[in-house]
Amino acid sequence: MSENRLFRFRRPQWMNSANARAAGVYSAGALFSLGFFFFIDAAAYSRSAKNGSDVHVNFVDWIPGICSALGMLVINSIDKSRLTGDSFSYSGNGVAWKARLVLFMGFALMAGGLAGSVTVMVLKYLVPDYGFPTLWFGVANVLANSMIMLSSAVLWVAQNMEDEYTYNLAL
Amino acid sequence: MTAGLKTIIALSFVLAIGFLLVILSSALWKNYLPLLVVATYVIAPVPNWLCGRAASHDDFMESSGSAVVDFGKFLTGFFVVMGIALPALLAHTGDIVYQAMVMSIVGGLLIYGTIITFTMFFQEEQDF
Repeated sequence: MSENRLFRFRRPQWMNSANARAAGVYSAGALFSLGFFFFIDAAAYSRSAKNGSDVHVNFVDWIPGICSALGMLVINSIDKSRLTGDSFSYSGNGVAWKARLVLFMGFALMAGGLAGSVTVMVLKYLVPDYGFPTLWFGVANVLANSMIMLSSAVLWVAQNMEDEYTYNLAL
Repeated sequence: MTAGLKTIIALSFVLAIGFLLVILSSALWKNYLPLLVVATYVIAPVPNWLCGRAASHDDFMESSGSAVVDFGKFLTGFFVVMGIALPALLAHTGDIVYQAMVMSIVGGLLIYGTIITFTMFFQEEQDF
């Protein structure tokens, strides 16, 4: 196991414990919730009495968030052990290839969501030069999409930890 | 057993303070939206319990069981942050005042801490 490592630095030992994995999954949910409520806050503020301007959050602002959430769903619903083509039992029927294709689509959806949120912020709020209470809609959109991306990364790392953990348990 | 009795009394005291803060935060301003925090924190541990029951504990090599558990943990983390984010959102959009936000957040955290401590004690007793 230690001879065919890929990287120079060894994964620290505490990362393999079940507690670290649970904490990772919990914080992934917390990050997703934080991002989601950043965006819901912008949408609710846009319809509240405090919004003095004429600009509102439309469906256009929702599209990047929907793309990011779909991408997160796709990425995390793939069984991670299907990705390694050189594991002998899974390599038949091109499962690894299909899994990589679906994973690529998930990452594309997610990156598209983040890029789309920046696009919406620039085109809808920065170019017409709105002031800050209105600009918050765009900033919250970018924040929400980056939080969803971060949450997905944390969940990915936590699930990879779990594989290592069960491997140690099996030996 | 006496230590357990003492903890139960202390926990109920904390729970009562939490409910007092949340109910006060809504009743003082005649605006009952902060009560949503209580609902959030009451349903927060439910996904963990349900998915813990749904998972198969027998074969640890089966990865689908732990995926269900992970989904429950994800939902629980979501609800815990929702209990803090919801009053902040309501205060930011002007539906409740900021004092009500602070009181409902503190009260909700007390209620959730009580629920978590209770389940920890009960699980420890089940193990024996």
